[in-house]
Amino acid sequence: MSIKIEKLSYSYTLPSGEKVEALKDITCSIETGDFVGIMGPTGCGKTTFIQLLAGLRSPTGGRIYLDGEDINVRGYDRNRLRRTVGVVFQNPEYQLFAATVEKDVAFGLKYNGLSRSEVTGRVRWALETMGFDFEKVRAQSPLALSGGEKRRVAIAGVIATKPKILIFDEPIAGLDPYGRRNFLQFIRGMNQTGTTVIMVSHNLEALAEYTRHLLVLEQGRLIDSGPTREVFARLQQRNNGAFGQTEAQRIVALLAEGNLALSSAIITYDDLLSALKQELNGGGAG
Amino acid sequence: MKTLPTGQYIPGDSFLHQLEARAKISCLFLLIAAVLGASSFWGYALVLATISTLLLLSGLPIRGAVAPVRRISWFLLIILLMNALFFEGEAVLASWGIFHLSRGGIEQGFRVVGNLVLILILGNLLTMTTLPTQVTTALESLIKPLKLIGVPTEEVAIIISVAIQFIPTLLEETELIKMTQIARGARFESKKLSERAASFLPLVVPIFISSFRRAEELSLAMEARGYRKARNRTKPKKAPLAPADYTALIVCALICLIQLLWRG
Repeated sequence: MSIKIEKLSYSYTLPSGEKVEALKDITCSIETGDFVGIMGPTGCGKTTFIQLLAGLRSPTGGRIYLDGEDINVRGYDRNRLRRTVGVVFQNPEYQLFAATVEKDVAFGLKYNGLSRSEVTGRVRWALETMGFDFEKVRAQSPLALSGGEKRRVAIAGVIATKPKILIFDEPIAGLDPYGRRNFLQFIRGMNQTGTTVIMVSHNLEALAEYTRHLLVLEQGRLIDSGPTREVFARLQQRNNGAFGQTEAQRIVALLAEGNLALSSAIITYDDLLSALKQELNGGGAG
Repeated sequence: MKTLPTGQYIPGDSFLHQLEARAKISCLFLLIAAVLGASSFWGYALVLATISTLLLLSGLPIRGAVAPVRRISWFLLIILLMNALFFEGEAVLASWGIFHLSRGGIEQGFRVVGNLVLILILGNLLTMTTLPTQVTTALESLIKPLKLIGVPTEEVAIIISVAIQFIPTLLEETELIKMTQIARGARFESKKLSERAASFLPLVVPIFISSFRRAEELSLAMEARGYRKARNRTKPKKAPLAPADYTALIVCALICLIQLLWRG
């Protein structure tokens, strides 16, 4: 499922008559099976952008094509869109409502035309993918689970429909380092089985390590996009790293001040580690 | 979320913004009485002229000020139809079974809907030009006499203000949860009534839960910041009523009086 976005804009009017342009003239494309990160400061329009991508809002300008089809024309099957695009919002645990975990996860499958046993199979798969023992958890109330478990049940409810495109809004915010790593591995796993993944995050390390392409938003505009490494290298130059610099890049900058010049292509900790190893072993490169 | 909830305060320095909240609330009640008391063409002309003047004085965009009316336009239409069809008036124009379309019914319908619309706009004008905190302090001092008969007026005022302040938050949250469930495949726009009714459950349950969570968080935060029940809290200094406030009150009282005289 490839996504093509052309001159996408979204604006709204406040009761005071003031017009707010949340997104301005965004043009980009996302290929099938890609892992795309979206970054930008708070209030830059990231959440609005993914709401538009999922067809939850209609743009005030521009078009979004899913496999060549405009999703905002009259007569486009929105229900098919819901099955194609899955969204995990911030705090997904707030969406839980059903009496049992099984029913909650099955909620999105209601209109899929699956048989009862197929639905159970899907629910089992989704819950097991999220690390649950299906038999143990199926009859529990989702609202009685712990915070972390609630979140995983909610995500199971999204992946149960097997969407071809999965969008995550700040999926790792508020998780401990171990949970973060686990969750990112899970997202990578989904991506490796062919799902296109779009991830909004403030965590630059996660974006640098996991995504293949990046979109950078600032005040509703797309200020940069491309392969993750290239974008990070450009951001570093753009405003001297004031915004969009990973920890590894920061360390490289500090080392450079101490007369240890390393490659400017270093983005992640792994890059840094191998560059330092080379430096120590060979000694010649620097 | 993207269109701010109606009725929210919009900063400004118009005549209406500057009036003391106590005066504004009293004027609101006087004008509501005037609207309800209007019975003749001239009566309605007077309240319409008053409200138009207030709209102009408020400096608010007309669209924002009448937004709540548009929001409940379906409800208003139903009220109009109910009145028109069920009112047992004279001059019946047509009737089908239990329905009687009468001149009196149509008039009654228009009157009820007209009153509602005007009162809505008045209320909206108050909340759009007055800070919630000002509304609370004003309410508190206006209901103070009730303290004599044992009503905990301070608590009542706090409860009202918290309720008012949470309306935008809850509306915003409702929209977010609605989006989340739609993304999951919920169908709120389904044509079948039974399906539609059932589809509200995924909306209502999370909103209830989050309201309780918010209530708990807020009460903890209030306690942590030293709020205790039945303690005399210091209040922002109350400004005395200015000449403009008295003028507004007198004008509103006059309008109300004229309305009653015309009626009688």
